[in-house]
Amino acid sequence: MEVQGTVPESHPPKFTLPVDTEHKATEFRLFSVAAPHMRAFHLAWVSFFSCFVSTFAAPPLLPIIRDNLNLTSTDIGNAGIAAVSGAVFARLAMGTACDLFGPRLASASLILLTTPAVYFTSIASSPVSFLLVRFFTGFSIATFVSTQFWMSSMFSAPVVGTANGVAGGWGNLGGGATQLIMPIVFGLIRHTGADNFTAWRIAFFIPALFQTLSAFAVLIFGQDLPDGNFRGLQKSGDKPKDKFSLVFYHGITNYRGWILALTYGYCFGVELAVDNIIAEYFYDRFNLKLHTAGMIAASFGLANVISRPGGGIISDVVAKRFGMRGRLWTLWVVQTLGGVFCIILGQVGSLSASIAVMIAFSLFVQAACGLTFGVVPFISRRSLGVISGMTGGGGNVGAVLTQLIFFKGSKYSKETGITLMGVMIICCTLPICLIYFPQWGGMFCGPSDKQTEEDYYMSEWSSTEKEKGLHHASLKFADNSRSEKGRRVKAAALPTDESSPTQV
Amino acid sequence: MAARGLLLASFLLFSCFAETYGMISFSSLPRTLVVTASHRQGLLKADEDKITVIWGLNQSFPAGTDSAYTTIKVKLCYAPISQVDRAWRKTVDHLSKDKTCQFKIVSRPYSNTNQTFQWTIERDVPTATYFVRAYAFNAEDHEVAYGQNTDAKKTTNLFEIQAITGRHVSLDIASVCFSAFSIVALMGFFFAEKRKGRKAQQ
Repeated sequence: MEVQGTVPESHPPKFTLPVDTEHKATEFRLFSVAAPHMRAFHLAWVSFFSCFVSTFAAPPLLPIIRDNLNLTSTDIGNAGIAAVSGAVFARLAMGTACDLFGPRLASASLILLTTPAVYFTSIASSPVSFLLVRFFTGFSIATFVSTQFWMSSMFSAPVVGTANGVAGGWGNLGGGATQLIMPIVFGLIRHTGADNFTAWRIAFFIPALFQTLSAFAVLIFGQDLPDGNFRGLQKSGDKPKDKFSLVFYHGITNYRGWILALTYGYCFGVELAVDNIIAEYFYDRFNLKLHTAGMIAASFGLANVISRPGGGIISDVVAKRFGMRGRLWTLWVVQTLGGVFCIILGQVGSLSASIAVMIAFSLFVQAACGLTFGVVPFISRRSLGVISGMTGGGGNVGAVLTQLIFFKGSKYSKETGITLMGVMIICCTLPICLIYFPQWGGMFCGPSDKQTEEDYYMSEWSSTEKEKGLHHASLKFADNSRSEKGRRVKAAALPTDESSPTQV
Repeated sequence: MAARGLLLASFLLFSCFAETYGMISFSSLPRTLVVTASHRQGLLKADEDKITVIWGLNQSFPAGTDSAYTTIKVKLCYAPISQVDRAWRKTVDHLSKDKTCQFKIVSRPYSNTNQTFQWTIERDVPTATYFVRAYAFNAEDHEVAYGQNTDAKKTTNLFEIQAITGRHVSLDIASVCFSAFSIVALMGFFFAEKRKGRKAQQ
């Protein structure tokens, strides 16, 4: 079998969806399960959804668990922080694992390795054991990174924001769905005659089993890239194996990754913190039944079904006209508005107003998450996984910080904590102004005339590596990303942009 | 005329404060009931041990004090030590928002004589330190008096209850088995992948 560069030509594969030169789909068809693109999408979001369900399965049942395990507010706060802190480094590790081993193996391994923690939640017997199971279960939401990496590998620039947004949003949905599912499962089990203190334990088997089965599905039906799996492509020479140290280096030295890591902490991180506290907030403040508090809390996470995808779609729509600059501006505006609604949420005192403001807050904050991952795929091509991991990890850091500062113990009432969190969102969103792409511009500065997309993405490869031909995938990506210039600039630019590129 | 108007106004005002639904404050209730709770020594276990509660009117009060009393509800209440850092058990003066007494022991129509009740501690009672309080309700189901087996500062006659764990051996075994299965399955998949890779190379 001949090996020609990076173009697999043993038999040109036929794809159901239209594809670009990297065989990434240029269309996103939600109701299709065609392999490999849409199938990967459905596997990714369902497995990620299951991880979210498990990680946030405890909060809606806390009114029962806190009495069974004799927890104090401090214990609960610590467990909530533990649940999201494990994933900080797990996300970064996951990003690197995706770059090196592919999203299919990386995500399925993590999911199966964390399911024991969910099963063991059933046998927790003290504040310490509760904290430990929540800590280890929380590692599973690092599958966010593999989801985004997988989508960025399967879908092309014009639809990557949408694909990332829908996959991420429908996965995050798990955080809301669990607030509905767990009280219902708990109620059903109690109906069969079990005590409160036994019923919640049995209930945890449901998310655990769901997680196990989704991992199996990923392993059996999933595929890393449009052309095949990492291992297969590496063996046939179609995909060069990259070095961990270089992939890592090029990821962490890109300042844009760090800025997005910070800002993502204040849309996604805030979402996680709220997932942890919102059911208890409504239960305690408005004296609601467990079931009712769970339903209201659920609607916060359930908004993800449209809000995060909406953010991704808006990112792509804005980019058609205004390119990357439009993506950045929209992200800043939407996330800042999320902060404003958060401030208002802490201030309103009536139940119906609280619910209305909470829904508005959730829409904006989750759309900001979708908008963030409309920008991430363009920051690096070689180290896409590391950048995704940094941003994702930053999200969890934000969740840890927010809960530590505002929701631990009894220092602030939950209402005050929520208002202050809103202020912090607005402040920590400002750094988006500092992101600048030489070939496309930033929020306040236009693009430089001298730098092209190729210059930007080729800067990640040394000349020796280019001689070996390792950079071809990045070249293709650079060409496919030219749409980020936006329409106005394209019209004024040289006509060679539209024609197919000539590869060296 | 003016005096009657003033009386009417003050009566309305008073009723607004005291009789508006849910606005009864604990500090406004007279402590006219005597409550004692007896149990075995040491840590009490939920679902096993019993508490015997005796309650009745404090005879040192004038006759007619209990004219409005229709029902007595005896409740199990958290002692201050079990309320620390647990906002969901907070003591608040407004009775409708008060979370001190969350478990009902018994509810009986009011009777002039001393009443007794033996209560087996229920299975959903959490591990904590408790005391017993009885509320007297009037015909409109509003609290009008109370009594408790401890002093005003809630420091004497407290007792500890230990909850059931809720765990069962079958649950423990199921957890361990399913966890082991997940890990073994993962290793199985890796092994199968490696074999497929080796076969393809041959």
